[in-house]
Formats: sequence, structure tokens, C-alpha cells
Amino acid sequence: MLRYIAYRSLVALFLVWLVVSLVFLLLHLIPGDPAELLLSQGSLAADPAAVAALRERMGLNDPLWRQYLDHLGGVLTGDLGTSFRDGAPVAEQIALRLPRTLEVIGAATLLAALLGVPLGTYAAVRAGGKADGLLSLLSSIALSTPVFVVGSVAILIFAQKLQWLPAGGFVSFSEDPVQHLKLLILPASAVAISLWAVITRMTRATVIEVLERDYVRTARAKGLSRAPILRRHVVRNAMIPVLTITGLEMGTLIGGTVLVEFVFNWPGLSGYLVSAVDARDYPEVVGIVIVISMLFVFLNLAVDVVNALLDPRISLVKS
Amino acid sequence: MTRTTRKLLLPGTLIGLILAVIVLAPVLPLHDVRAMDVPNRFAGPSAAHWLGQDEFGRDVLARLIWGGRASLFIAVGSALSAAVLGTLLGLLGGYFRGVVEALTVRASEVILCLPPLLLALLVVTILGAGTGPLMVALTLLYTPNYARVVYAATLQVRALDFVTAQMAMGAHPLAILWRTILPNVMPPLLVQMSLVVASAMMIESGLSFLGLGVVPPTPSWGLMIRAARGAMEVSPLLLLWPSLALAGTILIFNLLCDRLQAVLDPRNVTAGGALWLRKGPRRAALPAVPAATDGPLLAITDMAISVNTSERSLELVRRADVSVHSGETVALVGESGSGKTLTSLALMGLLPDQLGISRGQALFRGRDGRVTDLAQLDEDGFRRFRGAEISMVFQDAAAALNPVHRIGDQLAEALRDTGDAQEISRRVVDLLRHVGIPDPERRQRAYPHELSGGQRQRAMIALAVANAPRLLIADEPTTALDPTIQAQILHLFQKLKSDTPDMGLIFVTHDLAVVAEIADRVVVMYAGEVVESGPVAQVFARPRHPYTAALIASVPEGAADRLVAIPGTVPPPNAMPPGCRFAPRCAHALPACSAAPPGAERPDPARITRCIRWKEVT
Repeated sequence: MLRYIAYRSLVALFLVWLVVSLVFLLLHLIPGDPAELLLSQGSLAADPAAVAALRERMGLNDPLWRQYLDHLGGVLTGDLGTSFRDGAPVAEQIALRLPRTLEVIGAATLLAALLGVPLGTYAAVRAGGKADGLLSLLSSIALSTPVFVVGSVAILIFAQKLQWLPAGGFVSFSEDPVQHLKLLILPASAVAISLWAVITRMTRATVIEVLERDYVRTARAKGLSRAPILRRHVVRNAMIPVLTITGLEMGTLIGGTVLVEFVFNWPGLSGYLVSAVDARDYPEVVGIVIVISMLFVFLNLAVDVVNALLDPRISLVKS
Repeated sequence: MTRTTRKLLLPGTLIGLILAVIVLAPVLPLHDVRAMDVPNRFAGPSAAHWLGQDEFGRDVLARLIWGGRASLFIAVGSALSAAVLGTLLGLLGGYFRGVVEALTVRASEVILCLPPLLLALLVVTILGAGTGPLMVALTLLYTPNYARVVYAATLQVRALDFVTAQMAMGAHPLAILWRTILPNVMPPLLVQMSLVVASAMMIESGLSFLGLGVVPPTPSWGLMIRAARGAMEVSPLLLLWPSLALAGTILIFNLLCDRLQAVLDPRNVTAGGALWLRKGPRRAALPAVPAATDGPLLAITDMAISVNTSERSLELVRRADVSVHSGETVALVGESGSGKTLTSLALMGLLPDQLGISRGQALFRGRDGRVTDLAQLDEDGFRRFRGAEISMVFQDAAAALNPVHRIGDQLAEALRDTGDAQEISRRVVDLLRHVGIPDPERRQRAYPHELSGGQRQRAMIALAVANAPRLLIADEPTTALDPTIQAQILHLFQKLKSDTPDMGLIFVTHDLAVVAEIADRVVVMYAGEVVESGPVAQVFARPRHPYTAALIASVPEGAADRLVAIPGTVPPPNAMPPGCRFAPRCAHALPACSAAPPGAERPDPARITRCIRWKEVT
């Protein structure tokens, strides 16, 4: 088991190095001078003296290998450079905003899994029945409704009409915990809806598959009653693929929460990326892309490790 | 109307309707999408403006239809171009493999590693907002989907004989790709297509909503929702129409995708679930069964097992008569499909959902001396017997043990009236030692995959005898094992029998040598019926049914110079001969044999045969 985790961690580290290097290369292979691009306003050409000064400041005059090593060294020490726009350290901005995005994703996943796993199991047990049909319809609708539609309609209903919850914004937890959680409910629920549909469908499919397995029959043959069979032999085994899918979906959400953050005015990482891309602020873009990719890679690592803990056969096969 | 057209009718019609409205938009009598009417801004639905007017007094219905035109044009357009590009990459990669594969399929898969919305956002920000960049982004995004599907299908088709033959005949690779592979990948491509259109609409509307997609004043659903958000308090309907149109259209395309998949792969449609998991209505008390003071442990009389479908019921097993006395070993013998496994599963209440006992009795004498008719029990009724009084060793221990739990835990779970953790652990170790697993203290912590095949079967047996059952059913427990291991497992059964002299054993097998070694009596089944039964030595010495005789003759023996195979095969359950089921394959059959099912004849008080000619032919 430990050897398997060590092996997977090495692969993850390699992938992170690959991403960091690729982003560096891409940036230097894109035609055009970043300094010039940054200083040019629309069709107006930039002042050559200012461009030269900026190139010096950005280290663009150093040889490529030197720049690469500097870049790598910076990433290793947690230094992602400073923003072009306001000169603030990029790492600080990311450290400030990333937890907010992760909070929405985490809350959404928790909500989706808590509802999706039991409902998916129920649908599987009653496959072909009325409840199954209803859940299948609901999950289809959930998968077909874009998150900004869900968010906008939710604001209309819960903030405008019923006035139960605020329409959007952000207050830090330390400042006002209750308001913070109130503000979190709608964005997290909006994200949770499609994730719920994915988890419900996946759970239904795998539970149906597991119910056909011989070991479930063995569990019945032992004289166990329904609840322990369902819990220990059906859902427990069905969770492995469900967990994998959930992990992958969470990975897509990191950096994919742009729309929700926009709709609910939630100052997370995705919104920061949009504005950074908009302003062509390279250090910011590079920093965010590196952090998102790292998270993506480590999330996959976490999924692999938890899978190995859930299914003892995995570590044997792959290591 | 076939099932296929019926399933595709609803989504097909709806998509046809949407497309018709959108294509006909220029000739429909719609208001001008840009004609403003500021005094009437936010006006509700009226005769002139069916869905009302927006924040500039423009007609909402016209904008909705034209907006759909923009959305679908982008979505369908990029789905098509991604399909062409992806199909090309997939075909090339799948046909040529090697370097080409790396450059086409694998290279495109890099795109799948990034969050889709993020990628689209990056492309659009680099190229600027607008319809063109949007289509480029979406095409890029969905190319790998097609490439993967076509690649996989190409690999499959490529290996088919007729393609290999064409290659051998020197047909040009491109001609082969075009003629044989492309038509074969069309169905999965169609599924992808509907999926991609739905997904592309999702992303297009999202980017337009952010102001990075379709550029105003061109109407688009994403833009309409964005504008309506500002006016939510004044006119909530303005938010509702484009939201409904967008979600509804995506839903219809998703529905088409689901239905296409169901039509192309009917295996996916699972109905029924697991009936045993549903609590049925409580059954009335069972009718009292007259109990003799001493009788067999188990007496099955005239039992039938049927498939219950709505149209008709089909008997898979019938006229099963088996009895087992305590301490006795009865072998259930027959070819595969003879109903021996179904009969044993029925005794545990573990028949598959569609099957049930439709006739007869299976009287079981419990530990407390009470007699219960197993044929009448429901899931809850059976639970009292399973594991405690009747238990079963399954054929394939590797599949019958749960791979994610330790052997010891699975064994502990089976124990009844347990004590504290220490007591449980001691009993588990004792059981494992009892079935001959070496080093049981350590082995109880092993997972099933860490044990050898023979040890897994021993663990399975430990599970079955954990509560010293009165009746043990072993369903071909040695079939999946090596011959040397088979002998060891057989030896273990003999040891268990001598350790627990009161336990009845039903040993299901098709191996007559095993029967001779372990059983006291033998029951021969053929095509779902018991054809002969009696003490092993007598039956083997003088079979009273032509089928038994043929079975014995087909066993390889050292001295025999030739094997006698039984001609023909077991008839399928839906085409059983009317009379004796063995008649079509029987060397001694007369017209009378096929006239009516033969009754049970008793050549000897201890024996039964279902052959009307037993006196003459055996």
C-alpha cells in the first residue's frame, strides 16, 4: 500500500513539473513580445523605451534556460511573481481567493453526495419503478440546465420573491460566520445540482451492477438482513467508481466555477483568472494555471489513494 | 411501428419542430428583433407580442426564435466540424496505429485534461469574442470525443475477418476506411453528435452570458438571460422564457442521446432491480404442516420452478423429488442446464428474481423439530434458515467472496449469537483452522485475492459451516479447481461429514467419480426433471434409466476401450418434448415414450425411475 502511494505521488510530482514547464514554454513560444503586448493600448504602438525597461524587469533578456530555472525555482519556493496590473504578489492573491473557490466546490460536492448516493441507491433498488422514473427525469433536467440559469432563477426565487437568502456577495467567515454561510448556500447549491445528477446516475448504475454479483448472493446466504447487505456489500462496493467520477467532476470544477462566481458575485479564483486573461496579465495567468493544474493532479492522486484504500485489489494490480 | 422508431419518435419530433421554427425564422411573420419600442418596455404578453416585450420594448418571441437560431447554428456547426475533424483523426489513428496514433488521437486527448469551460474561455479571450472564435473553441473542445469513439470502433472493425481479407486482396487503405469502417462507426457517432450539441449549447450560452460569446445586438439565449437578470424585479418572465428555451432544448438533445444509446445497446435497459430488497407485504401465517415425529431432514415432492413473465410461465424444473435424511449425503447429478443448481438455490430462497417455486413442497425439519415448507417462505421467512440451518457453498469462491472485505470479517459477519470481539476472533480462527487453512491468525486478515484458489474455497466452506447448519448444499464446489486441489476439498467434505455426523449434505456435481466417492444416494436430473434416484452403489451397478446408463457409459475409465457419448443436446426449456424429455436422444425410445410424461416407477423400495421401459431396457 505505502509503495503504491509513493509511486503515485512520484507520478503526480512528475505531472506537475510537466505542467509548469509546458506553461513556461507555451508562453515563450507564443508569437509576439509579452512586454510589447502588455504596453500596447488597442492599435497604438507601445513606447520602445518603456518596452525595453519592462523586458529588463521581466527578465526577458536573460537566456531561456536561465529564465526557465528562475521560473522553476520561483514555483518551488512558492513565488509566482508579481502582477503587472498592481504589482501585488500573485501567490498572495491566489492564496486569498483559492480557499473561497474550494469552499464552494467542497460544499457543493458534500451536498451532491449526501443526496445523490442514497437516492441513486434507492433508484437502483426500485429500478424500473415510478420513483426511478421520476429520479431519472429529475437528473436529466438537472444535467440539461446550465448553472447560470439555475443560479439566476434561484436568485429570482429565493432572494427576490421569498427574500430568504442574499442574492450574492461575499463576507469572510471570521467577520460574520452566519452571513458567510448564508451567502454560500445558493452558489453551492447551484453547483451541486448537476453534480447531484451525475452522482445519482452513477450510483444507480453501479448499484444495479453490484446487485448482480455473486458476493451479494453469498451475503444473503449468510442470513444477513437487508440493511447490512446493502451497506456493507452493495453500496460499499459500488462507491469505488462513484468516487472516481466525483473526483474527476471536482477536478473539472476547479477553474470551472467561472459562471457561478460571476452570477453570485463570489470573489473566487475563477473570476480572478477571467480578469487576468482579460488584462493579459501573464504572471497572474501563469500562476493561476499552475495552481489549478497542481490541484487537478493532486485531486486525482487523492482519488487514487482513497480508491486503493477502498479496494485492496487496486494497489496490487498497479504497483 | 418498431420499438426503435417508437423510442426515437418523441425527441425526433421535438427536435424537428425546433429546427423547423428556426430555419423558417426569416419567413415567419415575426417582429423585427431590433425594433425598439421604449414606451412599452417590459410590457407583458399581448396579442401583438405573445411573450411580451423586453427592456427596450423589443418582441421577446422574435428574439427567442432568432436567439435559438444563433445558439443552434453555433452548436450544430461546431458539432459537425468537430465530427469531421475527430472522425478523421480517429480513423487515421486507429488504422495506422503507432506514430500516427500518437499524433492524432493521443494528441487530441490532451484537451480532455483541462476543464472545458476554462479552455473555451482561454481560446475566446485570445481570439476575441464573437461567433467565429466561439466555433473554433467548441470544435477544438469536442474533437477528442469523436476521435476516441471512432478510434475505438476502427480498432474493432479493423480486426474483423472481412477487413483483413480486403487488406490481403490489396485494396487501398483509404478505400477500406471509407467503405467498411465508416458505416460501422455511424451509430456511436450519432450518439456523440446529440451529446456534443447539448454540451456545446451549454458552453456557448455560458460564454454569451459572460459577454464573451455572441456579440450584441445579435440575440442569443445567454445574452437574453444576462439582460433579464438586471430587470428581474420588474419582469421575472423575461428571465423565464430564455431559461426555459435553453434548458428545454438541451434536455431534448440529451433525451435523444439517451434514447439512441438505449436503442443501440439494449443491455443498458435494466428493469426490475432486486426484488428481495423490497419489503413485501407481511405474509399470513403459514398453513401448519403435519409433522411426523421422525422423517427426513428435507423432503422435496413434485416441486416445479418457473419463469414468471407477464405472457406465460415456463417450467424450468418440474417433478423434482429429492429427500435427504440427517447425516446423509445426496448427490445431485446432471448435465449443465438440468436444473440441479436451480433446485438447490430454491432451497435457500436465492432464485433469480424472475424465477419462483410454482408447485410442490419442500419440507424441512428444523433444529427445534418443527417442519417448514420452504416453498412457501418469502425473503424474511428464509432469513431465519439461511446460514443457521441451511447453508450453501458456491461454485466460484473467487466471485462469491466480497473482494473489499477481509476473510475474517466476512466470516465474522456470518456468525450467529456472537459474543465480544475476542470471542468472535477466536471463533473465526477456529473455523479457518477447522477447514485446513494454515496460519489462520494471519490468514484471517487477508483479502480474498491474496489467497490461492483452494484456500478461497476452504474459506467459502468455513463460511457455510460457521453455524453448524443441519443441511449443507455444495454447488459444484470442486469444478473450478485443479485436480489435486479437488481431491483435497473433497477430503475436507468427508472430514466435515465425520465431524458433524448429523449434518445432511446435498452435493451438486456433474462428476460421477466424485459421486461414487462421497455420496450415499444419487439423484439424476435431466432437462429439469428428476429421472432416477437411489443408493449410489445400486444405481451405479444397475442404472434403471437409459439416461443414467448413458451418463455412466460416458465416464472415462482406465479399462474402457471407448467412450460412449450421448447423441444430441438437452432441449431448450421452451421447446421441451411432450412426453419423456429424454426420448429424442434415447436409443430405446418408442412412440409411447413421447405420448405422455412417464410417471415415477419403483423398481425397488429405495429407488425411483421415470422410464416406462425400465424393465426391458435396463
